[in-house]
Amino acid sequence: MSGSTTQRFASLHDVELCSRAAIGERAAFGELVRRHGSAVRGLLRRMGAQASEADDVAQDAFLTAFERISEFRGEGTFAAWVKRIAARAYLRRLQREKKLGALASEPIDGEAEVEVKGDADAAIDLDGALKQLSAAERLCVSLCFGAGLSHAEAAESLNLPLGTVKSHVKRGLEKLRARLAPGGGVIVEGRRGNG
Amino acid sequence: MAEAEFERRLERLFAEAPELADAVAFADRVERRLATGWTARRWLIGAAGVAGGVIGASQLIMSNLFQRVENVSDSARVLKAGFTQVAPRAAWVSGFAEGGVVVWVASALAIVAMGFALTRVIEEL
Repeated sequence: MSGSTTQRFASLHDVELCSRAAIGERAAFGELVRRHGSAVRGLLRRMGAQASEADDVAQDAFLTAFERISEFRGEGTFAAWVKRIAARAYLRRLQREKKLGALASEPIDGEAEVEVKGDADAAIDLDGALKQLSAAERLCVSLCFGAGLSHAEAAESLNLPLGTVKSHVKRGLEKLRARLAPGGGVIVEGRRGNG
Repeated sequence: MAEAEFERRLERLFAEAPELADAVAFADRVERRLATGWTARRWLIGAAGVAGGVIGASQLIMSNLFQRVENVSDSARVLKAGFTQVAPRAAWVSGFAEGGVVVWVASALAIVAMGFALTRVIEEL
């Protein structure tokens, strides 16, 4: 896209860009990709995707979003809408690769020792903190707090019981809280029920 | 920190994704794929429109082709006679003598028109 076109769209709001994209103005959609591409790719990486895998899924998600742009009513933000599309696309990919089933068999209970850094940087190191979580916890927390899915929607997308998702989220949050809190130390997580 | 407050903070942290170094290159890749997809789609729609137009127009023509040819030939003869009386030397009127040509020109136009109409319909879908 030329510089003048980029400048023309740079001043427009996302909703206006969506309207233009809906009538087939690809350059307007390109501006949306420029604005939100990193956020979508970042979410997929936080869900556990490798960088190249995240890029592939994000590209497909944006193409899907372009195809379905007329369905976007502007009720939420465009970024949130694309993130949901991308998150679901990533889950479908995991399902195709038979990796999603492994989550169902991942144990919820058990003892885990979470090392907490305790320095100031830890407070903003979400990516580092997410690495402390199990794959299922990371996926559930990212779906609910990154992609904005409800517990029920996440359960449906993951093909897991609602209670299991809630447990993964709860445990994930506990670990993140310990990791991201100012100060901190080593937290030993005990056995918990499935509620 | 209260649970709700931490959850809000977590949502903010998720929303504040850092800009990746290759953000522009990524956007360009998506735009290229969009352009490629639309070119392929346009060709596909065009081909479908032309095929549909040919089929539709041929059905239309074949349904009563001979009768139409006869009617047009008769009309052309009548017109020619009329025009000959009005302007005996008008060269363009001689074209009407070829009633069959008119039919085939009309058929070609019908094919184009139906192809165009079908293309529009498919695009709208």
